[in-house]
Amino acid sequence: MAAGPVGSGKGGQTAWVLNLLTDLAFNLLIFFVVCASSAQEEKGRPQQMPSASKEKTTEQKSTNIEVAITRTAVSVNGEDVPIADLKAKLTGMLAGKKNPENVVVVKSAKDTPYSHWIRITGAIEQAGGAITLQLEEEQVIGK
Amino acid sequence: MKFKRRPLEVTAPYVSMADIAFNLVLFFLIMAKTQDDSNRIEWDPARSTGAQPVKNAKVTVTVDKGQVILDQNGKPTMKDGKPERGEPRLYFNGQQVGMRDLTEKVAAALGDKPPTERIVVLKIHNETLASTFEPIMEAVSQAGGEVVHVIEEERPN
Repeated sequence: MAAGPVGSGKGGQTAWVLNLLTDLAFNLLIFFVVCASSAQEEKGRPQQMPSASKEKTTEQKSTNIEVAITRTAVSVNGEDVPIADLKAKLTGMLAGKKNPENVVVVKSAKDTPYSHWIRITGAIEQAGGAITLQLEEEQVIGK
Repeated sequence: MKFKRRPLEVTAPYVSMADIAFNLVLFFLIMAKTQDDSNRIEWDPARSTGAQPVKNAKVTVTVDKGQVILDQNGKPTMKDGKPERGEPRLYFNGQQVGMRDLTEKVAAALGDKPPTERIVVLKIHNETLASTFEPIMEAVSQAGGEVVHVIEEERPN
């Protein structure tokens, strides 16, 4: 903070004013630093998920596209697909389909990392699919 | 001989008061910022395309890297050249919570808000496994939240 007046006369007053101005500049600097650091905007990808299903009806099983994700690979309706070709393949399969026919059931292996999962689901959405998660049912071992 | 005393002019130090007021504003700004505990949670976003600015988000669910495991000497144990970490931890608006409470907490926070304000921001560490993040998404979905994945925009090479 600014010190009091130094000395007396004109020189002292100048020093006093300079101190105040330095204070002001420093405070303004801190203000803008605080504002700038809190104004960082987050970016994210919205994902529409109708509902996570633990059980599927026979009808759903026959009509929906099923994408299975493992730790490093992906398959569509049981057929392995290179990740680079996934979007093109799904775009063809989803052509002309509208909600709810465009639902893509996503089944992930337990050890699938999030970074891999988010790429695959991004490709599905870009191809026009609506994602539904199929979760593995909990198993009760030894009653 | 009598000397006449001059009456002292006492004025409020307005400059100093302005300084104090300004510093108080800064103090509360910084306090409000540190109140948001999400800044201290360790996580790295996944990379993908299609990121948009997140607006109107009141609820944040975070999954961190997990706590660094220490040996008997208090040094991190290493695995594949990296510090070994424990199970990832789940946070609801910066507070650590259990998976079982998540649906209830998200539903309570969202209340009867309209769909545009039901955004739930998911900050999931990029190495988190499906066995952890899928139940979280299901819980948010059950609570009626609109999921937004916080990602780092991947730029085409």
